[in-house]
Amino acid sequence: MPVVKAVTCPVCGSLCDDIELTIENGRIVKVKNGCAMCEAKFLGYCCEHRVLKPMIRKDGELVKTSLKEAIRRAAEILAEANYPVLYGWSNTSCEATSVGIELAEEVGGVIDNTSVVCHGPSILSIQDVGIPSCTLGQIRHRADLIVYWGSNPWSAHPRHIERYTSFSEGRFEKSAWRGYVTKIKALVGRKKIQSAIKRLVLKKPSQISTHLEPTFVSPIMRKGRKLIVIDVRRTKTAEMADFFVQVEPNKDYELLQAFRALIRDQELAVDKVAGVPVEYLEDVADAMVSCDFGALFFGLGLTMSGAKLRNIDAALSLVRDLNMRTKFIIMPMRGHFNVTGANTVSTWQTGYPYAVDFSLGYPRYNPGETSVVDVLLRKESDAALIVASDPVSNFPHKAAEHLAENPLIVIDPHMNVTAQMADVLIPSAFVGIEAAGTAYRMDHVPIPLKKVVNPPRGILPDEEILRRILAEIRKIKKKQEAA
Amino acid sequence: MMVNLYPLKELKLPIVAECINPDIFQGKKPAEIEKLEVWEGNKQKKLGELFKAEIAETEDASENTVVVIHGDISRVKRIGAGMKNGEIIIKGDAGMHLGEEMKGGKIAVYGNVLGWAGSMMKGGTIEIHGNAGDYLGAPYRGSTEGMKGGKIIVHGNVGREAGAHMHKGIVKIYGCAGQFAGFRMHGGTIYVQKDCEARTGACMVEGTIVVSGRIESVMPSFTIEGVKKKVKIEEGEVVETPFYLFLGDLTENGRGKLYVAKDKNPHLSHYEKYL
Repeated sequence: MPVVKAVTCPVCGSLCDDIELTIENGRIVKVKNGCAMCEAKFLGYCCEHRVLKPMIRKDGELVKTSLKEAIRRAAEILAEANYPVLYGWSNTSCEATSVGIELAEEVGGVIDNTSVVCHGPSILSIQDVGIPSCTLGQIRHRADLIVYWGSNPWSAHPRHIERYTSFSEGRFEKSAWRGYVTKIKALVGRKKIQSAIKRLVLKKPSQISTHLEPTFVSPIMRKGRKLIVIDVRRTKTAEMADFFVQVEPNKDYELLQAFRALIRDQELAVDKVAGVPVEYLEDVADAMVSCDFGALFFGLGLTMSGAKLRNIDAALSLVRDLNMRTKFIIMPMRGHFNVTGANTVSTWQTGYPYAVDFSLGYPRYNPGETSVVDVLLRKESDAALIVASDPVSNFPHKAAEHLAENPLIVIDPHMNVTAQMADVLIPSAFVGIEAAGTAYRMDHVPIPLKKVVNPPRGILPDEEILRRILAEIRKIKKKQEAA
Repeated sequence: MMVNLYPLKELKLPIVAECINPDIFQGKKPAEIEKLEVWEGNKQKKLGELFKAEIAETEDASENTVVVIHGDISRVKRIGAGMKNGEIIIKGDAGMHLGEEMKGGKIAVYGNVLGWAGSMMKGGTIEIHGNAGDYLGAPYRGSTEGMKGGKIIVHGNVGREAGAHMHKGIVKIYGCAGQFAGFRMHGGTIYVQKDCEARTGACMVEGTIVVSGRIESVMPSFTIEGVKKKVKIEEGEVVETPFYLFLGDLTENGRGKLYVAKDKNPHLSHYEKYL
């Protein structure tokens, strides 16, 4: 059986590129090196939810049609629209996004990607403050302090810690894996002893602690690679950390500003910040200042809670302040495998990373005004094209309601909730499995995606479908001009 | 001269109409006004396709043009952008970027206004008798050039980040304010008569914020300076009640003043031990 090596995984923003796939009779039968999410995608992409024929809505029902007819109908909807929205783009290739932007310009629409509901606030603050960053390779080899804030890579980016941070074997920094295993064994032993003492001596059942106090797992100032986790709950990643700070929900901004003040050697006129005693914060601040190379990774726990974009503003400012004392970088934990690519391509072609409005004939950008969720909530759009995304499942109810009221074109391999609402549904090939392309890793490194198997008969990649729609729209417009 | 504008239909698509400006209407006949260009969605149209214009000569001998808009125009953006003289009266709700970068004149709204009202304004007055959206007087995304003059009065509530990046001028809010009022402020005054959400004055460097109602919390990066018996908002307006005075934001080496009414905020009494 043929084995394809060095395949890039098209699931999360880590873009692990060491996957080995075994192919049998044109199907993937075995996945090596991947995490559970990676295996699920490579082995389950051809499931019963797969759409194999284009469909259009007739008398309220989705009925099968030819690809030519579906593309013609999609082009008609977009060409007639006064304010269409084009959304998705984070689960497809950069090449498809590039054609999508051309299409948005042609139809005078608003093009937006899934950043708007994940790291959009990060981008706004990066534009305000700037971002000191580097590649994941540099972090793997050099970082001696890793901070995960509002993110749980153990569940969301399962191989991030193993490939790029604490458990990776770097050239100048050793893996903390052995230390972690020893620590877990010691913790399990201690828990058993405590439980036995309670049962035998105190005769009370053991209780699970739910207190909000930060917990020392091991001395923060020890030598070697250290991991700090700051989150509202004790996640699996937090269990692995050398130091865990449990912040009160929606109080991250206060905590970040407190760290900034402490790093500037200023005294705080309070005893606790966000439920955490200031003395603990001083220890963490000391660890941050005394490291040689620190890396702060943040997730949606920071971007979508409380102060939203201003959380990131404070985090970026904190890293800027830390760079006056040591070397520190910051990086968002991007979710979809090519959301970074969608931002990058959009920036190349329009000057803006997301929420770009072409209605006046030139790109305009003002999230809150030109972002798709806000456009839908104000019920301004009159048509929609969704590519490789399922906004009806994720958007606020009222936004999803208006989206479903619009003439809706969906390009997706699966029959998801949005596809079920579609007026035109065009099935596409899976990028990174059935179609090649380019994706950007969370550190803005472009990585090629491989085509490892052929798509089902008649199924085209997103890029090709979009090119055909664009060509059809241009034909319609030419006819209109001639008339 | 008074120009009355009446919407001809229910406006559903976003409309960009920076031509609705007393300086542009000055001396024009209704037919000329109706020929001005606007954008409705992705189509360029004439103002006359969306509004009916009527001119009523006023007895007022002054040369100021008064534009009165009757009806809900919450989809119409950039009304009065960059205006220097005259007056706009909106009898209904107004859209985003109302009076953006205005330099003079007056805008009165008898309804609610969406985001970025008075964005980057340099002079003149905006009075909103309803509620205002987010980013009142704040600059557009990525810019740090906030209000540099003028006055905004809101009789209702306002959203997030009112007066962000403000350098000069005054914002008076007689209702409640959302979080981050006066974010990265460099000067000017913000007065909130009722309650204020958290993070007021975050990262401020200079300027004054006065909160007469309850404030959710004061940032840990502010220090208490003392208790004041009264605070002057502007010429002829003084609030006489005890106020805690906080200075900040320490993280930006700021010396901004945050006054918070003592009586309405007993949860801040623990700061008194530092006095």
